[in-house]
Amino acid sequence: MKLIGRTLLVAQLLFLIGPLLLLALTALSAGETLEFPPDGLSLRWMARVFEIESFRASFMTSLLVAVASTVFSLLLGLPAAYAFSRYTVPFGEAIRLFLSSPIIVPGIVVGLALLDFVVVPFALDPIGALLVAHTALLIPYSVRVVGASLAGLRVDIEEAAVLLGSTRLGAFRSVVLPNIQNGVMAAAVLGFITSFNQVPVSLFLTGPGVSTLPIDMLAYVEATFDPSMAALSVMLAVLSLIIVFATERLLGLSKYV
Amino acid sequence: MSSSSRPVAGLIAPAFCFLLICFIVPVLLLLSTSLQGHAGWSFENFGTFFQSTLNRRVLWTTIRLGVLVTLSSVVLGYIAALSIVDLSAGNRGRVLGLTMLPLMISPVARTYAWLVLLGQAGVLNDFLQLLGVTQQPVRFLFTETAVYLGLLQLFLPLMILSLVSALENLPPDVVTAARTLGAGWLTVFFKVILPLTREGLIIGGTLVFTGSITAYITPAVLGGSRVLMLETLLYQRVHLGNDIKTASVIAVILVGLSFVANYVIRKLSSRKT
Repeated sequence: MKLIGRTLLVAQLLFLIGPLLLLALTALSAGETLEFPPDGLSLRWMARVFEIESFRASFMTSLLVAVASTVFSLLLGLPAAYAFSRYTVPFGEAIRLFLSSPIIVPGIVVGLALLDFVVVPFALDPIGALLVAHTALLIPYSVRVVGASLAGLRVDIEEAAVLLGSTRLGAFRSVVLPNIQNGVMAAAVLGFITSFNQVPVSLFLTGPGVSTLPIDMLAYVEATFDPSMAALSVMLAVLSLIIVFATERLLGLSKYV
Repeated sequence: MSSSSRPVAGLIAPAFCFLLICFIVPVLLLLSTSLQGHAGWSFENFGTFFQSTLNRRVLWTTIRLGVLVTLSSVVLGYIAALSIVDLSAGNRGRVLGLTMLPLMISPVARTYAWLVLLGQAGVLNDFLQLLGVTQQPVRFLFTETAVYLGLLQLFLPLMILSLVSALENLPPDVVTAARTLGAGWLTVFFKVILPLTREGLIIGGTLVFTGSITAYITPAVLGGSRVLMLETLLYQRVHLGNDIKTASVIAVILVGLSFVANYVIRKLSSRKT
Protein backbone atom coordinates (compact mmCIF):
# COMPACT_ATOMS: atom_id res chain seq x y z
CA MET A 1 0.00 0.00 0.00
CA LYS A 2 2.72 2.40 1.06
CA LEU A 3 4.85 1.44 -1.93
CA ILE A 4 2.00 2.05 -4.39
CA GLY A 5 1.33 5.42 -2.76
CA ARG A 6 4.98 6.45 -3.00
CA THR A 7 5.19 5.35 -6.65
CA LEU A 8 2.10 7.37 -7.53
CA LEU A 9 3.52 10.38 -5.67
CA VAL A 10 6.74 10.17 -7.69
CA ALA A 11 4.69 9.87 -10.90
CA GLN A 12 2.79 13.04 -9.98
CA LEU A 13 5.99 14.94 -9.22
CA LEU A 14 7.28 13.84 -12.62
CA PHE A 15 4.12 15.21 -14.24
CA LEU A 16 4.48 18.52 -12.38
CA ILE A 17 8.20 19.03 -12.94
CA GLY A 18 9.09 16.86 -15.95
CA PRO A 19 8.05 19.40 -18.60
CA LEU A 20 10.10 22.09 -16.83
CA LEU A 21 13.23 19.89 -16.81
CA LEU A 22 12.75 19.15 -20.49
CA LEU A 23 12.47 22.88 -21.15
CA ALA A 24 15.75 23.45 -19.32
CA LEU A 25 17.47 20.82 -21.48
CA THR A 26 16.23 22.27 -24.78
CA ALA A 27 17.34 25.72 -23.65
CA LEU A 28 20.91 24.41 -23.66
CA SER A 29 20.58 22.98 -27.16
CA ALA A 30 23.27 23.71 -29.72
CA GLY A 31 20.93 23.00 -32.68
CA GLU A 32 18.88 25.35 -34.85
CA THR A 33 15.47 24.12 -33.79
CA LEU A 34 13.89 22.64 -30.71
CA GLU A 35 14.95 19.06 -30.67
CA PHE A 36 15.17 16.29 -28.21
CA PRO A 37 17.68 14.95 -27.46
CA PRO A 38 19.45 18.24 -28.37
CA ASP A 39 22.44 18.11 -30.80
CA GLY A 40 25.02 18.92 -28.19
CA LEU A 41 24.93 21.50 -25.46
CA SER A 42 25.70 25.20 -25.68
CA LEU A 43 24.80 28.55 -24.22
CA ARG A 44 24.23 30.17 -27.63
CA TRP A 45 20.46 30.55 -27.20
CA MET A 46 20.92 32.13 -23.80
CA ALA A 47 23.18 34.68 -25.49
CA ARG A 48 20.74 35.12 -28.39
CA VAL A 49 17.98 36.24 -25.98
CA PHE A 50 19.92 39.37 -25.12
CA GLU A 51 20.09 40.33 -28.80
CA ILE A 52 16.32 40.44 -29.21
CA GLU A 53 15.57 44.16 -29.02
CA SER A 54 11.90 43.91 -28.07
CA PHE A 55 12.67 41.62 -25.13
CA ARG A 56 15.09 44.19 -23.76
CA ALA A 57 12.50 46.95 -24.02
CA SER A 58 9.67 44.91 -22.54
CA PHE A 59 11.91 43.62 -19.74
CA MET A 60 12.58 47.23 -18.73
CA THR A 61 8.84 48.03 -18.88
CA SER A 62 8.01 45.01 -16.70
CA LEU A 63 10.72 45.93 -14.23
CA LEU A 64 9.57 49.55 -13.98
CA VAL A 65 5.90 48.62 -13.62
CA ALA A 66 6.63 45.90 -11.06
CA VAL A 67 8.83 48.09 -8.85
CA ALA A 68 6.60 51.18 -9.02
CA SER A 69 3.31 49.34 -8.48
CA THR A 70 4.81 47.40 -5.56
CA VAL A 71 5.86 50.67 -3.90
CA PHE A 72 2.48 52.33 -4.56
CA SER A 73 0.53 49.33 -3.28
CA LEU A 74 2.59 49.32 -0.07
CA LEU A 75 2.09 53.06 0.44
CA LEU A 76 -1.68 52.56 0.12
CA GLY A 77 -1.92 49.15 1.77
CA LEU A 78 0.32 49.57 4.81
CA PRO A 79 -1.81 52.27 6.53
CA ALA A 80 -4.94 50.19 5.89
CA ALA A 81 -3.31 47.07 7.37
CA TYR A 82 -2.22 49.13 10.38
CA ALA A 83 -5.78 50.45 10.89
CA PHE A 84 -7.16 46.90 10.83
CA SER A 85 -4.64 45.65 13.39
CA ARG A 86 -4.87 48.54 15.87
CA TYR A 87 -8.41 49.91 15.68
CA THR A 88 -11.92 48.60 15.41
CA VAL A 89 -12.84 49.39 11.85
CA PRO A 90 -16.51 50.14 11.26
CA PHE A 91 -17.95 47.72 8.66
CA GLY A 92 -14.62 45.88 9.00
CA GLU A 93 -15.63 42.71 7.18
CA ALA A 94 -17.18 44.58 4.26
CA ILE A 95 -14.14 46.84 3.91
CA ARG A 96 -11.80 43.85 4.05
CA LEU A 97 -13.76 42.18 1.25
CA PHE A 98 -13.69 45.45 -0.69
CA LEU A 99 -9.91 45.74 -0.33
CA SER A 100 -9.35 42.14 -1.42
CA SER A 101 -11.71 42.26 -4.40
CA PRO A 102 -8.94 42.81 -6.99
CA ILE A 103 -7.78 39.20 -6.47
CA ILE A 104 -11.30 37.83 -6.79
CA VAL A 105 -12.26 39.49 -10.08
CA PRO A 106 -10.71 37.58 -13.02
CA GLY A 107 -7.76 39.45 -14.52
CA ILE A 108 -9.05 39.84 -18.04
CA VAL A 109 -12.24 41.49 -16.73
CA VAL A 110 -10.14 43.99 -14.76
CA GLY A 111 -8.07 44.78 -17.84
CA LEU A 112 -11.08 45.37 -20.07
CA ALA A 113 -12.90 47.44 -17.44
CA LEU A 114 -9.89 49.68 -16.94
CA LEU A 115 -9.36 50.05 -20.69
CA ASP A 116 -12.93 51.16 -21.38
CA PHE A 117 -13.65 53.24 -18.30
CA VAL A 118 -10.29 54.63 -17.14
CA VAL A 119 -7.66 54.48 -19.86
CA VAL A 120 -9.76 55.69 -22.80
CA PRO A 121 -11.78 58.42 -20.97
CA PHE A 122 -8.72 59.82 -19.19
CA ALA A 123 -6.35 59.26 -22.14
CA LEU A 124 -3.79 57.39 -20.00
CA ASP A 125 -0.68 56.15 -21.77
CA PRO A 126 0.09 52.40 -21.55
CA ILE A 127 2.63 52.81 -18.73
CA GLY A 128 0.16 54.81 -16.64
CA ALA A 129 -2.55 52.26 -17.37
CA LEU A 130 -0.33 49.35 -16.32
CA LEU A 131 0.70 51.18 -13.14
CA VAL A 132 -2.91 51.84 -12.10
CA ALA A 133 -3.97 48.26 -12.87
CA HIS A 134 -1.02 46.58 -11.14
CA THR A 135 -1.24 48.84 -8.07
CA ALA A 136 -4.91 47.89 -7.67
CA LEU A 137 -4.03 44.22 -8.13
CA LEU A 138 -1.27 44.30 -5.48
CA ILE A 139 -3.15 46.18 -2.74
CA PRO A 140 -4.83 42.98 -1.42
CA TYR A 141 -1.44 41.28 -1.11
CA SER A 142 0.17 44.14 0.79
CA VAL A 143 -2.82 44.55 3.13
CA ARG A 144 -2.86 40.84 3.89
CA VAL A 145 0.88 40.16 4.22
CA VAL A 146 1.69 43.32 6.21
CA GLY A 147 -1.44 42.60 8.29
CA ALA A 148 -0.16 39.13 9.17
CA SER A 149 3.14 40.67 10.24
CA LEU A 150 1.40 43.34 12.38
CA ALA A 151 -0.74 40.68 14.04
CA GLY A 152 2.43 39.12 15.45
CA LEU A 153 3.60 42.41 16.98
CA ARG A 154 2.75 43.26 20.58
CA VAL A 155 0.69 46.43 20.94
CA ASP A 156 2.12 47.33 24.35
CA ILE A 157 5.63 48.24 23.16
CA GLU A 158 4.10 50.82 20.86
CA GLU A 159 1.85 52.06 23.68
CA ALA A 160 4.93 52.31 25.90
CA ALA A 161 6.63 54.57 23.36
CA VAL A 162 3.53 56.80 23.24
CA LEU A 163 3.32 56.93 27.07
CA LEU A 164 6.98 57.92 27.18
CA GLY A 165 6.20 60.95 25.06
CA SER A 166 6.56 59.79 21.49
CA THR A 167 3.95 60.85 18.94
CA ARG A 168 1.83 58.18 17.21
CA LEU A 169 3.75 58.70 13.98
CA GLY A 170 7.07 58.70 15.83
CA ALA A 171 6.15 55.45 17.60
CA PHE A 172 5.16 53.95 14.27
CA ARG A 173 8.48 54.94 12.68
CA SER A 174 10.77 53.95 15.53
CA VAL A 175 8.92 50.97 17.03
CA VAL A 176 6.44 49.42 14.59
CA LEU A 177 8.25 49.79 11.27
CA PRO A 178 11.54 48.16 12.33
CA ASN A 179 9.57 45.22 13.74
CA ILE A 180 7.48 44.59 10.65
CA GLN A 181 10.18 45.21 8.07
CA ASN A 182 10.40 41.50 7.22
CA GLY A 183 6.68 41.42 6.55
CA VAL A 184 6.95 44.53 4.39
CA MET A 185 9.84 42.97 2.45
CA ALA A 186 7.85 39.76 2.01
CA ALA A 187 4.90 41.77 0.69
CA ALA A 188 7.23 43.62 -1.67
CA VAL A 189 8.73 40.40 -3.06
CA LEU A 190 5.32 38.78 -3.49
CA GLY A 191 4.01 41.94 -5.16
CA PHE A 192 7.00 42.23 -7.46
CA ILE A 193 6.70 38.62 -8.66
CA THR A 194 2.92 38.89 -9.08
CA SER A 195 3.24 42.04 -11.16
CA PHE A 196 6.23 40.83 -13.16
CA ASN A 197 4.45 37.60 -14.19
CA GLN A 198 1.05 39.18 -14.72
CA VAL A 199 -0.63 38.54 -18.08
CA PRO A 200 -4.47 38.73 -18.11
CA VAL A 201 -4.73 42.14 -16.42
CA SER A 202 -2.13 43.69 -18.73
CA LEU A 203 -3.43 42.10 -21.93
CA PHE A 204 -5.71 44.96 -22.96
CA LEU A 205 -3.55 47.70 -21.46
CA THR A 206 -0.29 47.32 -23.36
CA GLY A 207 -0.19 49.67 -26.31
CA PRO A 208 1.70 50.26 -29.51
CA GLY A 209 5.40 49.95 -28.73
CA VAL A 210 4.82 49.33 -25.02
CA SER A 211 4.59 45.72 -23.88
CA THR A 212 5.45 43.80 -20.76
CA LEU A 213 7.85 40.87 -20.94
CA PRO A 214 5.34 38.02 -20.45
CA ILE A 215 3.01 39.49 -23.08
CA ASP A 216 5.89 39.97 -25.48
CA MET A 217 6.88 36.34 -24.85
CA LEU A 218 3.32 35.21 -25.50
CA ALA A 219 3.35 36.95 -28.89
CA TYR A 220 6.79 35.49 -29.70
CA VAL A 221 5.62 31.96 -28.79
CA GLU A 222 2.82 32.21 -31.34
CA ALA A 223 5.18 33.37 -34.09
CA THR A 224 8.44 31.45 -33.68
CA PHE A 225 9.53 28.10 -32.42
CA ASP A 226 13.23 28.15 -31.60
CA PRO A 227 15.21 27.47 -28.40
CA SER A 228 15.58 31.19 -27.57
CA MET A 229 12.14 31.16 -25.91
CA ALA A 230 13.16 28.12 -23.89
CA ALA A 231 16.39 29.88 -22.93
CA LEU A 232 14.55 33.01 -21.80
CA SER A 233 11.99 30.93 -19.91
CA VAL A 234 14.71 29.09 -18.05
CA MET A 235 16.56 32.28 -17.15
CA LEU A 236 13.34 33.79 -15.78
CA ALA A 237 12.51 30.60 -13.91
CA VAL A 238 15.95 30.53 -12.29
CA LEU A 239 15.62 34.22 -11.41
CA SER A 240 12.24 33.77 -9.71
CA LEU A 241 13.44 30.65 -7.87
CA ILE A 242 16.45 32.55 -6.55
CA ILE A 243 14.18 35.37 -5.35
CA VAL A 244 11.72 32.96 -3.71
CA PHE A 245 14.39 30.87 -1.99
CA ALA A 246 16.40 33.88 -0.84
CA THR A 247 13.28 35.46 0.64
CA GLU A 248 12.29 32.20 2.28
CA ARG A 249 15.77 31.81 3.80
CA LEU A 250 16.11 35.40 4.94
CA LEU A 251 12.56 36.33 5.89
CA GLY A 252 10.46 33.18 5.94
CA LEU A 253 8.06 34.29 3.21
CA SER A 254 5.75 31.35 3.90
CA LYS A 255 4.96 32.70 7.37
CA TYR A 256 3.07 35.58 5.82
CA VAL A 257 1.35 34.11 2.80
CA MET B 1 -6.31 52.91 22.69
CA SER B 2 -7.95 55.86 21.00
CA SER B 3 -11.59 55.22 20.31
CA SER B 4 -12.03 58.07 17.86
CA SER B 5 -12.65 56.84 14.34
CA ARG B 6 -10.79 59.69 12.69
CA PRO B 7 -7.38 57.94 12.41
CA VAL B 8 -9.11 54.84 11.06
CA ALA B 9 -10.81 56.76 8.27
CA GLY B 10 -7.58 58.56 7.43
CA LEU B 11 -5.60 55.32 7.30
CA ILE B 12 -8.06 53.38 5.18
CA ALA B 13 -9.27 56.17 2.91
CA PRO B 14 -6.28 56.23 0.49
CA ALA B 15 -6.48 52.53 -0.39
CA PHE B 16 -10.29 52.62 -0.32
CA CYS B 17 -10.64 55.63 -2.62
CA PHE B 18 -7.97 54.40 -5.03
CA LEU B 19 -9.68 51.04 -5.42
CA LEU B 20 -13.11 52.65 -5.65
CA ILE B 21 -12.13 54.94 -8.52
CA CYS B 22 -9.59 52.79 -10.33
CA PHE B 23 -11.10 49.37 -9.82
CA ILE B 24 -14.63 48.97 -8.43
CA VAL B 25 -16.36 51.67 -10.48
CA PRO B 26 -14.80 50.61 -13.82
CA VAL B 27 -15.61 46.94 -13.17
CA LEU B 28 -19.22 47.78 -12.22
CA LEU B 29 -19.56 49.97 -15.32
CA LEU B 30 -18.32 47.09 -17.47
CA LEU B 31 -20.73 44.65 -15.83
CA SER B 32 -23.62 47.09 -16.27
CA THR B 33 -22.86 47.33 -20.00
CA SER B 34 -24.23 43.81 -20.27
CA LEU B 35 -27.69 45.13 -19.29
CA GLN B 36 -27.74 47.93 -21.82
CA GLY B 37 -29.92 46.93 -24.74
CA HIS B 38 -30.85 48.91 -27.83
CA ALA B 39 -33.66 50.66 -25.96
CA GLY B 40 -32.65 51.01 -22.33
CA TRP B 41 -32.03 48.33 -19.73
CA SER B 42 -32.76 44.77 -20.78
CA PHE B 43 -31.47 41.22 -20.77
CA GLU B 44 -31.25 41.09 -24.56
CA ASN B 45 -27.43 40.81 -24.56
CA PHE B 46 -27.73 37.66 -22.48
CA GLY B 47 -30.35 36.36 -24.91
CA THR B 48 -28.09 37.04 -27.89
CA PHE B 49 -25.14 35.46 -26.09
CA PHE B 50 -26.94 32.22 -25.34
CA GLN B 51 -28.47 32.00 -28.82
CA SER B 52 -25.05 31.50 -30.38
CA THR B 53 -23.98 27.86 -30.63
CA LEU B 54 -20.32 28.88 -30.39
CA ASN B 55 -20.87 30.77 -27.12
CA ARG B 56 -22.84 27.91 -25.60
CA ARG B 57 -20.15 25.47 -26.65
CA VAL B 58 -17.39 27.64 -25.12
CA LEU B 59 -19.32 27.95 -21.85
CA TRP B 60 -19.81 24.18 -21.81
CA THR B 61 -16.11 23.50 -22.62
CA THR B 62 -15.07 25.86 -19.82
CA ILE B 63 -17.32 24.24 -17.23
CA ARG B 64 -16.47 20.72 -18.39
CA LEU B 65 -12.71 21.36 -18.26
CA GLY B 66 -13.11 23.05 -14.86
CA VAL B 67 -15.00 20.04 -13.47
CA LEU B 68 -12.59 17.51 -15.01
CA VAL B 69 -9.51 19.28 -13.70
CA THR B 70 -11.11 19.63 -10.26
CA LEU B 71 -12.16 15.96 -10.05
CA SER B 72 -8.76 14.73 -11.27
CA SER B 73 -6.95 16.92 -8.79
CA VAL B 74 -9.16 15.61 -5.96
CA VAL B 75 -8.24 11.98 -6.76
CA LEU B 76 -4.55 12.69 -7.46
CA GLY B 77 -4.40 15.18 -4.58
CA TYR B 78 -5.54 12.64 -1.97
CA ILE B 79 -3.10 10.03 -3.27
CA ALA B 80 -0.22 12.51 -3.13
CA ALA B 81 -1.21 14.18 0.15
CA LEU B 82 -1.66 10.86 1.98
CA SER B 83 1.84 9.79 0.91
CA ILE B 84 3.31 13.20 1.76
CA VAL B 85 2.03 13.32 5.36
CA ASP B 86 3.57 9.86 5.79
CA LEU B 87 7.07 11.21 5.05
CA SER B 88 9.60 12.42 7.61
CA ALA B 89 9.47 16.18 8.30
CA GLY B 90 12.55 16.95 6.17
CA ASN B 91 11.39 14.96 3.15
CA ARG B 92 7.92 16.43 3.51
CA GLY B 93 9.36 19.93 3.15
CA ARG B 94 11.40 18.89 0.11
CA VAL B 95 8.48 17.21 -1.66
CA LEU B 96 6.19 20.18 -0.92
CA GLY B 97 8.85 22.49 -2.34
CA LEU B 98 8.94 20.45 -5.56
CA THR B 99 5.13 20.41 -5.68
CA MET B 100 5.02 24.18 -5.52
CA LEU B 101 7.65 24.64 -8.22
CA PRO B 102 5.16 25.09 -11.11
CA LEU B 103 3.40 27.83 -9.12
CA MET B 104 6.58 29.85 -8.74
CA ILE B 105 7.63 29.84 -12.37
CA SER B 106 6.64 32.48 -14.90
CA PRO B 107 3.31 31.30 -16.34
CA VAL B 108 4.43 31.80 -19.92
CA ALA B 109 7.55 29.69 -19.31
CA ARG B 110 5.51 26.96 -17.66
CA THR B 111 3.05 26.80 -20.53
CA TYR B 112 5.84 26.95 -23.08
CA ALA B 113 7.28 23.78 -21.55
CA TRP B 114 4.14 21.95 -22.72
CA LEU B 115 4.64 23.36 -26.20
CA VAL B 116 8.13 21.86 -26.26
CA LEU B 117 6.71 18.53 -25.12
CA LEU B 118 3.54 18.33 -27.22
CA GLY B 119 4.33 20.41 -30.34
CA GLN B 120 4.39 19.12 -33.95
CA ALA B 121 8.19 18.96 -33.74
CA GLY B 122 8.03 18.40 -30.00
CA VAL B 123 9.68 15.79 -27.83
CA LEU B 124 6.71 13.42 -27.73
CA ASN B 125 6.34 13.41 -31.53
CA ASP B 126 10.09 12.88 -32.03
CA PHE B 127 9.91 10.00 -29.61
CA LEU B 128 6.88 8.38 -31.28
CA GLN B 129 8.50 8.66 -34.72
CA LEU B 130 11.74 7.24 -33.37
CA LEU B 131 9.83 4.23 -32.09
CA GLY B 132 8.07 3.94 -35.43
CA VAL B 133 4.63 4.24 -33.84
CA THR B 134 3.71 6.96 -36.32
CA GLN B 135 5.16 8.38 -39.55
CA GLN B 136 3.35 11.73 -39.51
CA PRO B 137 3.53 14.02 -36.48
CA VAL B 138 0.41 13.69 -34.33
CA ARG B 139 -1.40 16.88 -33.37
CA PHE B 140 -1.45 17.03 -29.56
CA LEU B 141 -1.59 20.80 -29.30
CA PHE B 142 -4.80 22.80 -29.62
CA THR B 143 -6.80 19.93 -28.17
CA GLU B 144 -8.81 19.79 -24.98
CA THR B 145 -6.36 17.19 -23.68
CA ALA B 146 -3.49 19.68 -23.98
CA VAL B 147 -5.45 22.37 -22.14
CA TYR B 148 -6.50 19.81 -19.52
CA LEU B 149 -2.87 18.75 -18.88
CA GLY B 150 -1.69 22.36 -18.65
CA LEU B 151 -4.45 23.31 -16.20
CA LEU B 152 -3.90 20.18 -14.11
CA GLN B 153 -0.18 20.89 -13.79
CA LEU B 154 -0.96 24.44 -12.73
CA PHE B 155 -3.69 23.72 -10.18
CA LEU B 156 -2.93 20.25 -8.79
CA PRO B 157 -0.32 21.80 -6.43
CA LEU B 158 -3.02 23.97 -4.82
CA MET B 159 -5.14 20.89 -4.12
CA ILE B 160 -2.19 18.92 -2.74
CA LEU B 161 -1.22 21.80 -0.45
CA SER B 162 -4.71 22.27 0.96
CA LEU B 163 -5.19 18.51 1.46
CA VAL B 164 -1.79 18.17 3.16
CA SER B 165 -2.71 20.90 5.64
CA ALA B 166 -6.12 19.27 6.23
CA LEU B 167 -4.50 15.88 6.82
CA GLU B 168 -1.94 17.39 9.19
CA ASN B 169 -4.83 18.58 11.36
CA LEU B 170 -6.37 15.12 11.48
CA PRO B 171 -6.42 13.79 15.07
CA PRO B 172 -3.35 11.50 15.10
CA ASP B 173 -4.88 8.18 16.10
CA VAL B 174 -8.17 8.04 14.23
CA VAL B 175 -6.81 6.10 11.26
CA THR B 176 -4.98 3.57 13.47
CA ALA B 177 -8.08 3.23 15.64
CA ALA B 178 -10.31 2.48 12.66
CA ARG B 179 -7.75 0.00 11.29
CA THR B 180 -7.42 -1.78 14.63
CA LEU B 181 -11.19 -2.10 14.80
CA GLY B 182 -11.05 -3.97 11.52
CA ALA B 183 -11.91 -1.38 8.88
CA GLY B 184 -10.40 -1.92 5.40
CA TRP B 185 -8.47 0.88 3.64
CA LEU B 186 -11.44 1.97 1.55
CA THR B 187 -13.71 2.11 4.59
CA VAL B 188 -11.10 4.13 6.49
CA PHE B 189 -10.85 6.57 3.60
CA PHE B 190 -14.56 7.08 3.02
CA LYS B 191 -15.73 6.89 6.66
CA VAL B 192 -12.84 8.58 8.47
CA ILE B 193 -10.42 10.55 6.30
CA LEU B 194 -12.85 12.03 3.79
CA PRO B 195 -15.35 13.44 6.33
CA LEU B 196 -12.56 14.86 8.51
CA THR B 197 -10.77 16.59 5.63
CA ARG B 198 -13.95 17.83 3.97
CA GLU B 199 -13.16 21.51 4.47
CA GLY B 200 -9.67 21.26 3.00
CA LEU B 201 -11.20 19.40 0.08
CA ILE B 202 -13.82 22.08 -0.56
CA ILE B 203 -11.33 24.94 -0.22
CA GLY B 204 -8.86 23.22 -2.56
CA GLY B 205 -11.65 22.29 -4.97
CA THR B 206 -12.96 25.84 -5.15
CA LEU B 207 -9.48 27.23 -5.78
CA VAL B 208 -8.85 24.70 -8.54
CA PHE B 209 -12.26 25.18 -10.16
CA THR B 210 -12.22 29.00 -10.19
CA GLY B 211 -8.57 28.98 -11.22
CA SER B 212 -9.33 26.67 -14.15
CA ILE B 213 -12.36 28.52 -15.48
CA THR B 214 -10.65 31.92 -15.23
CA ALA B 215 -7.25 30.87 -16.60
CA TYR B 216 -6.04 32.77 -19.64
CA ILE B 217 -2.50 31.78 -20.64
CA THR B 218 -3.00 28.00 -20.61
CA PRO B 219 -6.03 27.93 -22.95
CA ALA B 220 -4.53 30.71 -25.09
CA VAL B 221 -1.27 28.85 -25.75
CA LEU B 222 -2.34 25.20 -25.57
CA GLY B 223 -5.89 25.56 -26.88
CA GLY B 224 -5.48 28.35 -29.42
CA SER B 225 -8.62 29.27 -31.31
CA ARG B 226 -9.65 25.61 -31.61
CA VAL B 227 -10.31 25.12 -27.91
CA LEU B 228 -11.76 28.37 -26.66
CA MET B 229 -12.58 28.96 -23.00
CA LEU B 230 -14.51 31.93 -21.56
CA GLU B 231 -11.41 34.09 -21.03
CA THR B 232 -9.95 33.44 -24.46
CA LEU B 233 -13.38 33.99 -26.04
CA LEU B 234 -13.65 37.33 -24.23
CA TYR B 235 -10.23 38.37 -25.52
CA GLN B 236 -11.11 37.30 -29.04
CA ARG B 237 -14.49 39.11 -29.00
CA VAL B 238 -12.84 42.37 -27.96
CA HIS B 239 -9.67 42.05 -29.99
CA LEU B 240 -11.13 40.86 -33.27
CA GLY B 241 -14.71 42.09 -33.12
CA ASN B 242 -14.64 45.01 -30.68
CA ASP B 243 -17.78 43.36 -29.35
CA ILE B 244 -18.13 44.90 -25.87
CA LYS B 245 -21.68 43.57 -25.40
CA THR B 246 -20.66 39.92 -25.62
CA ALA B 247 -17.49 40.63 -23.63
CA SER B 248 -19.52 42.21 -20.82
CA VAL B 249 -21.85 39.20 -20.67
CA ILE B 250 -18.81 36.89 -20.35
CA ALA B 251 -17.43 39.23 -17.68
CA VAL B 252 -20.68 38.89 -15.69
CA ILE B 253 -20.48 35.09 -15.90
CA LEU B 254 -16.81 35.02 -14.85
CA VAL B 255 -17.21 37.51 -11.98
CA GLY B 256 -20.38 35.75 -10.80
CA LEU B 257 -18.70 32.34 -10.69
CA SER B 258 -15.62 33.76 -8.93
CA PHE B 259 -17.64 35.53 -6.24
CA VAL B 260 -19.79 32.48 -5.53
CA ALA B 261 -16.65 30.35 -5.18
CA ASN B 262 -14.97 32.94 -2.99
CA TYR B 263 -18.06 33.12 -0.77
CA VAL B 264 -17.95 29.34 -0.29
CA ILE B 265 -14.25 29.48 0.72
CA ARG B 266 -14.86 32.35 3.12
CA LYS B 267 -17.79 30.59 4.81
CA LEU B 268 -15.82 27.40 5.26
CA SER B 269 -12.55 28.91 6.40
CA SER B 270 -14.25 31.18 8.94
CA ARG B 271 -16.08 28.16 10.36
CA LYS B 272 -12.80 26.33 10.81
CA THR B 273 -11.23 28.99 13.04
